[in-house]
Amino acid sequence: MEEKQRASSEAESAPRRAWDAVCAFFGISTKTRRASRKRVKLVGDVLTYAVLIVGAFFMVYPFWWMLAGSFAYTAERGTQGDILNNMIWWPSVSTFMPPAGVVGVGAFFNYAEVFTNAFGKLSSGFTFWRALFNNLLYSVVPVSVGVITSASAAFSFAKLDWKGRNVVFYFLLAAIMIPGPSIMVSQFVMYDNLGWRTNGLVLIVPGMFGSIMTAFFIRQFLFGLPTSIIEAAQIDGAGYPRVFVGFILPLALPAIMAQAVLSFMGCWNNYLGSFIMIPPQSEWINLPHAIVLMEKSYEGNYAVMIAASVICVLPVMVLFACFQKLIIGSLMLTGSKE
Amino acid sequence: METVGAERAVTDEKTAAGAPRKRGRVSRKKLQENLWGWAFCLPLIVGTVWFVYIAFVMALMLSFTNYTLLRGSMLEYLGNFASNIVKDPNTGALSPFYWYRQAFVYEIGETYVMNELGAHLFNTVFYMAGIPVGIGLAMFFAVCMTRDIKGGNLFRVLYYLPCVASVVSVVFTFRILFDTNGAVNRILGIDLNWLQQTGNQAATWNSLTGSNAAGAFMNDPFWCQGFFQKLVIVIMAVWKGLGATILLYIAGLSGVNGATKEAAQIDGANGGQIFRKVVLPDLYPVIFYNVVTAVIGGMQIYTEPVLLFGESYMTSGFVSLIWRYGLSGNNPNNAKGAAYGMILAVIIFALTMFQFWLDSRNKD
Repeated sequence: MEEKQRASSEAESAPRRAWDAVCAFFGISTKTRRASRKRVKLVGDVLTYAVLIVGAFFMVYPFWWMLAGSFAYTAERGTQGDILNNMIWWPSVSTFMPPAGVVGVGAFFNYAEVFTNAFGKLSSGFTFWRALFNNLLYSVVPVSVGVITSASAAFSFAKLDWKGRNVVFYFLLAAIMIPGPSIMVSQFVMYDNLGWRTNGLVLIVPGMFGSIMTAFFIRQFLFGLPTSIIEAAQIDGAGYPRVFVGFILPLALPAIMAQAVLSFMGCWNNYLGSFIMIPPQSEWINLPHAIVLMEKSYEGNYAVMIAASVICVLPVMVLFACFQKLIIGSLMLTGSKE
Repeated sequence: METVGAERAVTDEKTAAGAPRKRGRVSRKKLQENLWGWAFCLPLIVGTVWFVYIAFVMALMLSFTNYTLLRGSMLEYLGNFASNIVKDPNTGALSPFYWYRQAFVYEIGETYVMNELGAHLFNTVFYMAGIPVGIGLAMFFAVCMTRDIKGGNLFRVLYYLPCVASVVSVVFTFRILFDTNGAVNRILGIDLNWLQQTGNQAATWNSLTGSNAAGAFMNDPFWCQGFFQKLVIVIMAVWKGLGATILLYIAGLSGVNGATKEAAQIDGANGGQIFRKVVLPDLYPVIFYNVVTAVIGGMQIYTEPVLLFGESYMTSGFVSLIWRYGLSGNNPNNAKGAAYGMILAVIIFALTMFQFWLDSRNKD
């Protein structure tokens, strides 16, 4: 009995020791705690990279798919649906290599369709360029004006001392408690009565008054600036508008830019606003709304829809790539404020 | 714009009247600071009051009336609020909560009858299943990214990409990715009809998957209506929101007390223990903030299901009701839509308060 036990324990202990050695090599030592710190770090890093790369693949793959799909050639009847449905990495029939006998198909065939006659199918005279112009109008004007008004409010809340400041601040902040969809109907009626729904003002004017969240974040940033700058400027005879334009705007530029880019992306992608407020026959619909409406004409030739999707996504992607440091820094700052 | 001008005129008057009365330079400076303080805030105040608070009060009033766009100006209509309160069409008696009562009793479906409001609420709550999944994934990736590795910033950018993409583009892509022989099915090696519309039919687990499982649960039509459709929405929502949540947690993790962590390490705590006992308590405010904002946002889900599946009792969120009754069609019943909006506001408010109550109880 005893012998048997010893034998078994020895038999066990040999592989056990080998296993421990392997574990120790990879830094996962349970018993010995002799694993080298360097190796622990190395193994951990390799595992982390593996996990992050797999995750990144899932995050990026749909975008690759979108890009590849925009080069699929689905205009021919019969095979239409399957080319996109069966696509994993690259379409079986792409516009780079159209089927033999098909002429007039360049590499950017689907994009050309979007640029030339796709949007004309919504209403006569409507073009892609008009939708793009609308989208730019709805993004640039409200954001550039709104960010200035938000910044001025933030300046007032952070650096000026006036009666009722805190009351007003919390009064404004409480507005974010009211969910957008529950006041959607009364806003709709209000804009309709004002006549803003038929001339695009509905997506321009409200944004120009600034947003309380933007003001809140710029205010947090301004708290970090020394007040002595303002006092020094005032001693030199500068009034408050001068201080705001000459000192606060340049100094808070990183925060303001980050908020501006973020709101620009929000406005660019504002499908819901256009969908709710602007009549679909109108020429004032924005780009995402137009793409959705376009779908009816391209159910068979779906690659054109994918090309339009790429066109819709690309500008914000480029913008994000240019400003990623600023944006992520700002998001981290606002995140850490909580 | 008019209001801005008017108020500014008032403040100017105040300067003229108030300035000479004050004695020294100090009080004059104080007055100026007060005036400029208000002036700098004025656009934001006007915008918020006009487009949020006034709109909210009007929505509340609308929900007790019979207003539609055909009745002309809303301001005039609400000016005669007392005489425009909705009357019960059967009895003719005043019944201000008529639309609210309608909202709660209306039933839908042919083979499987259910309460309309309940069905949409169920869909909305189903979509919130993505919140804990998203939090878990985000925390995991955030911990990975805060390790001392090269290229952490690149991963942050890549994971944030879906957040900046237009929901329209994403929907058009996911529609084909989740097709019966689309990329997802092929990669997973399954043959599932993710996007199958169940219509008004009473779908069951067996009818959706073609399986033959026994048991009442498998044949219960309630939770199965559009099950895989909803699952696609959850996947899409988690995918799209993950990057922002990760950034939030990275910011939170950088605020975790490093000294405590090191002390725990020296005391022999392993990674799991350190995470549970040191990191999580420090991360609690971030998690709480994340849950509160995610629930508020989740209750307002609308675009994704409607773009993918159209207006449907099986998949649409609560906001669809507001759109369906209050905004769609040639002559929408704005008053009824406003009533649904108020119900949504109450639900969101109650949920938020409930979470704060849980939080306060936790702290004691």
